[in-house]
Amino acid sequence: MNKRLQVEIDKCTGCGLCQLACAVKKSQQFDPSLARIKIYRSEAQGFNVPLICQQCANPPCVTVCLMNVADKDPNTGITVRESNHCIGCRACQVACPFEACTYDHINDVVVNCDLCGGHPACVEICPTGALQYCDISTTLAGARDAAAAKRSMIPDRERSRHG
Amino acid sequence: MESTGYAGNILEIDLSTNSQHVTKLSPQFCHDYLGGIGFNARMVYDGVSTGTDPLSKENILVFSAGTMVGSTFPTASRTEVSAKSPMTGLFGTSNSGMFFATQLKNAGFDSLVFKGKAERPVYLHLEDGKAEIKDAAGIWGKDSWETIDIMKKQYPGCEVASIGPAGENLVRFACIENSYFDAWARTGLGAVMGSKNLKAIVVRGTLGIKPYNPGKFIELSWKARKLIESSPFFVPFRSYGSMNAAIPYGNFKALNAHNFSQGCLPDWKENFARSKVDQHTHGHIACQSCIIACAHWVEIKEGKYKGLHMKDMEVTPITAFGSGCGMSLEASVKACEMSQRYGFDMVSASGAVAMAIEIYDRGIIGKDDVGYELAFGDDEAILRLMDDIAHRRGVGEILAEGVLRAARNYEGAESSAMHVKGLEIPMIDPRGRTSTWSFGILTNVRGGDHLRCRNPVENLRYNENKHRFGKERFGFDPKMYDALDMPESLKTRAIDLENDTTDIAVMSYWAENLINLFNSLGVCIRPPVEHRIGPTILAEAYTAFTGLEMDADELMRGAERSWNLMKLFNLREGEKPEDSKFPRRFYEEEVGGRKLDEAQLREVLRRYYQTRGWDADTGVPTADKLVELGLNPV
Repeated sequence: MNKRLQVEIDKCTGCGLCQLACAVKKSQQFDPSLARIKIYRSEAQGFNVPLICQQCANPPCVTVCLMNVADKDPNTGITVRESNHCIGCRACQVACPFEACTYDHINDVVVNCDLCGGHPACVEICPTGALQYCDISTTLAGARDAAAAKRSMIPDRERSRHG
Repeated sequence: MESTGYAGNILEIDLSTNSQHVTKLSPQFCHDYLGGIGFNARMVYDGVSTGTDPLSKENILVFSAGTMVGSTFPTASRTEVSAKSPMTGLFGTSNSGMFFATQLKNAGFDSLVFKGKAERPVYLHLEDGKAEIKDAAGIWGKDSWETIDIMKKQYPGCEVASIGPAGENLVRFACIENSYFDAWARTGLGAVMGSKNLKAIVVRGTLGIKPYNPGKFIELSWKARKLIESSPFFVPFRSYGSMNAAIPYGNFKALNAHNFSQGCLPDWKENFARSKVDQHTHGHIACQSCIIACAHWVEIKEGKYKGLHMKDMEVTPITAFGSGCGMSLEASVKACEMSQRYGFDMVSASGAVAMAIEIYDRGIIGKDDVGYELAFGDDEAILRLMDDIAHRRGVGEILAEGVLRAARNYEGAESSAMHVKGLEIPMIDPRGRTSTWSFGILTNVRGGDHLRCRNPVENLRYNENKHRFGKERFGFDPKMYDALDMPESLKTRAIDLENDTTDIAVMSYWAENLINLFNSLGVCIRPPVEHRIGPTILAEAYTAFTGLEMDADELMRGAERSWNLMKLFNLREGEKPEDSKFPRRFYEEEVGGRKLDEAQLREVLRRYYQTRGWDADTGVPTADKLVELGLNPV
């Protein structure tokens, strides 16, 4: 499986459907704070940024994990977790530059996007095509750079919505 | 039993005593009043005694999340806020979207009820079931945007409802600002909040909303989405939102141009065209769970108002300031920003300004009264006057009372006060457009307002007045008729396919109930939704979400029940049959060669009352109707 989530940033309207679809699939309830995807809205500058797990080549979350819960799956290359052993210390949350580690307050563990086993609920429900699931080799040209650029434009994190 | 769908609780806060009380929702209450506006109707009816001064501590202020909010049901995002209105003295209520209700429900509550009055300025901090009243000394006096900035810094991830200086100064048409760019604007609820010394409500929650049957509910969310996407109104609304209406209404000469004196301004089409939306906007903004995203990010890149960057270019602010006061498009964005920061209703504020300019033109007030010259289209003078209104300075002190009360201060000014039941009329002039939508201004429980009655199959391609005020042209393919989810017996009365007409009286009855249902469940009333979403799918979704049995008829009855209850509230407060009429100007002065025929309009009103099961002459719900709805007669 060489597909990854991609964001086409200008298409995001910030509706939050992706968060609700994620939360209800993974936790059986509509609670945006449980979603493995976050949305920042900059009211001052006028844009929305979905923040997703980048499935990094050398993930900081894996590096800092005290319990060796997080690791790269050698077959798929995605970051996976043995949540049974997670102690909920949230060090990975601090380390992740994309805020893609989500604290699951029901089970007191940290989780990240597992691409729903190849059928991501967030992509399915996204009404504008801002979220896409595509092959690494056909990654949207510049999409990641554009997302990173927008992310870096949020000067004041508190002046935005995130769940 | 764990609550499903609903958060399950009502939080009551007495600001006088700083005490709290939590009530569990009962299945019967949910069944009868559904949520949102239904809950509010019951609580305000029961909680506010007759003759209460709306700005006294005896008034109550209720926030209720629409029942389906926080879920994947498309457009479910809305919160209804209600109280006795300081504008009309009748049922005051307003609806707004964005993310407030999502957080409110996740914090564990469907409704917040504020009673009494705090001794000094306070705000409410609500998080995961815990509510705390806090000192607002640090934010009192700040505008809404500044208030939200401070609150968001202190409580990351929260949603904020706040009042600005207008609410603090008890400007009668003050709004409650919903985050930065949206508002519970109409009927002066911000003044009620200000009268309670309540500056802001800060909410965040992570308790989760559990659907009763997640699989079925998500399936129904998808079904609803496909229905909405299949409406011919979907693509236009996704592209231009409510701005689609700006030009047609200008062509009909049905705009509020210069205080309802002209129907349309000469350069309207050039100055406010959809191409202007393209020129000034980048990207769309959605409320919670919306698949349409009708709103735009606006940036003014040049000229005097360069640097404005916000959500705007919707038909209400554009017509309020652009058409009503004759402002330029760019200045209307500034006026919109000012309304949001100061926190007042753009429709009423622009109505007050437009009246002031008109009576200035008529020589009733002069430069000595105002302090500067006033004229339609004088952007700077208008912005200055709005500033004076927000701070109750000079003539602003009088205009801050709304047009009905302000006009009483000047002999001869009453004919320039464009209101119904004390509430300023928004963009539509019924002389130019005889439709379900313009008729609804007369029958709206909240007074002169256009958002509680709209034909789900309104056709903007036609504007024939041969039917005068009884009928409007249907003008669509019969497929549009088939797609309407409406009981067949009523549908054949509302739409006559053979003669290609819609009956305004009958359609108004249906449209008001349908919109009231949407405002109960938290679904948006944008045309693609109103066209394709009806009680059948909503009843199924309601049951899958809450676990409470509900069918389409019973759901509509719930919406009709709360509409009747709001009417009963108004009657109890002394509303008279003769109050349901347009300003004299609409009957006496022509716009675009047309004026209203009072006798004819009364006849449509009679048929509307009959369709509602109300007395045809007085508009009072009959005992039979109230028994049918399970309500007690007055």
